[in-house]
Amino acid sequence: MTTTLDFAELTELTRTDKYVQYELFFGPNFPGMHGNFGYILDVAGSTITGVRANPGLLHRGFEKLMEQKLWLQNLSLIPRICVVDPDPNEVAYCTAIERIMGLEIPERAKYIRTITLEMSRLASYLMGMGALGAMMGLYTAMYRMISDRDTLLDLFEWLTGARIYHIYNMPGGVRRDIPEGWTERLLQTLDALESNIPEWDRLVFENPIVIKRLTGIGPLSADEAVGMGIVGPNLRATGFKADVRIDDPYAAYPYLEIERPDAGGGGDALARAVQIRLEYEATIRLIRQAVRQLPGGDYRLKLGNPLRMIVPKGDAYARVESSKGEFGYYVVSDGGVKPYRVSVRGPSLPAGLYLCNKHLPGMLIDDVAIWMASLAVCPPDFDK
Amino acid sequence: MNNREMAVLVENVPGVSSSEERYDNQIEVRADAFALPGLLSYLKSNGFAHLSNILAVDWIEEGEFELVYNLFSYVHKLHATVKARVDREIAHAPSILTLWPQAQVYEREIHEFFGILFDGNPNLEPFFLHNWQDSPPLRKDFDTEEYSRRAYGMIDDGVEHAKEQSI
Repeated sequence: MTTTLDFAELTELTRTDKYVQYELFFGPNFPGMHGNFGYILDVAGSTITGVRANPGLLHRGFEKLMEQKLWLQNLSLIPRICVVDPDPNEVAYCTAIERIMGLEIPERAKYIRTITLEMSRLASYLMGMGALGAMMGLYTAMYRMISDRDTLLDLFEWLTGARIYHIYNMPGGVRRDIPEGWTERLLQTLDALESNIPEWDRLVFENPIVIKRLTGIGPLSADEAVGMGIVGPNLRATGFKADVRIDDPYAAYPYLEIERPDAGGGGDALARAVQIRLEYEATIRLIRQAVRQLPGGDYRLKLGNPLRMIVPKGDAYARVESSKGEFGYYVVSDGGVKPYRVSVRGPSLPAGLYLCNKHLPGMLIDDVAIWMASLAVCPPDFDK
Repeated sequence: MNNREMAVLVENVPGVSSSEERYDNQIEVRADAFALPGLLSYLKSNGFAHLSNILAVDWIEEGEFELVYNLFSYVHKLHATVKARVDREIAHAPSILTLWPQAQVYEREIHEFFGILFDGNPNLEPFFLHNWQDSPPLRKDFDTEEYSRRAYGMIDDGVEHAKEQSI
């Protein structure tokens, strides 16, 4: 018996969703996934019909660990909650402790914190924009932007001794002063980064393929985003004006003029990408402004032996605007040498664990990684 | 509206036992657990549209869990910390799923790590921990060292390891 191949049926099969329903593990081992987190997708053909988030493989029990370490020892632990943008963790934790202790840190320390936070934001945006390109097969963007990010890491290494986890902030200020010649080098680096922006535009943001792939992915309205706890550039891309640096100021932000770039308020992946691109440019200008105003004086309050540090009884919540939005630390002290409880609010939890249930069904498998990169879903900050 | 005015305003909501201003732009509200949905819905309609997170603290010596809701108002630029205590033995609290949909994830997480039940939340299945059969791990009476000895069979090798310094 000879089998005749029905081409009409075959084309129909490959074109539409006539394959039987199957389950696809998107992660934990997938190049487009940051960290060992995954979605279990129900798929028909190449269209997603259902989704279940599958966290836990990355869970290291940070909050339990923090209760078992001294106040200062925790500083070496918390940057690990966000690999790409670690400084907001340190600043939020230290700010919460300073609130409980009623400390006002020196002006210079505030400015140094601001400069490092904004440098960390730049590094994270470069990684984010590069990852967005890489998700679409545009690896050139990734390689070039990572090499730009490296110039910032060099500066971090000079300032703090470490490239990724800086462990630079401590309650009362920062660990060491800015070395001689560092700010000049920082300004040169910023000039170099700024001169590359037209190239990023040509490579990514004016690229017709990128625009076509990003348009309409994961649309969000402002009301929806606020009601769901979406923060940071994702919220601002919907046209809602919210920024922790302005709304709930910390460090030296009250003394600085912060730009609020507007990407048009489209609320989809393209708007989010453009928002990051505009904020990248604004951040460079903000660092220049902070360096210009950098005051002299002490960089740290002398609080006695840091290993015998005791925080009075009380609790405080401190939030910091990271590159992904509000990073919050709720710290409880019972007056002892260790925190009684530390709770971390990761900025990508609402998107990564809740919004996925609404956005992913109906999407193609190819778009999931783009959706994650455009919302900057960083699993380590909720699976912690 | 500043935090002093807001604290006075919230004081009259049913179920609120105290409402105080603190730090520069924060208020702290203590309430009964059963009054949470009403109180949070009142706060939400008064500008506190953003739910930062929900967490629990285990006050083991007092035999109570404390639920903490961190809210922020983009209108008034104020932060609100809402605290409610529930009994440690009968740990029940009403769900606020209808106010903020993402509370589903926070409540599921708290149920898993503290064992607090949220009435009205349809999905409190295990989420982060796989095949967990022990007591909820973020409770203060959960001993991590004892657990790893039991679960992974750590053997006492007789060597004096570095002990915690007495400070």
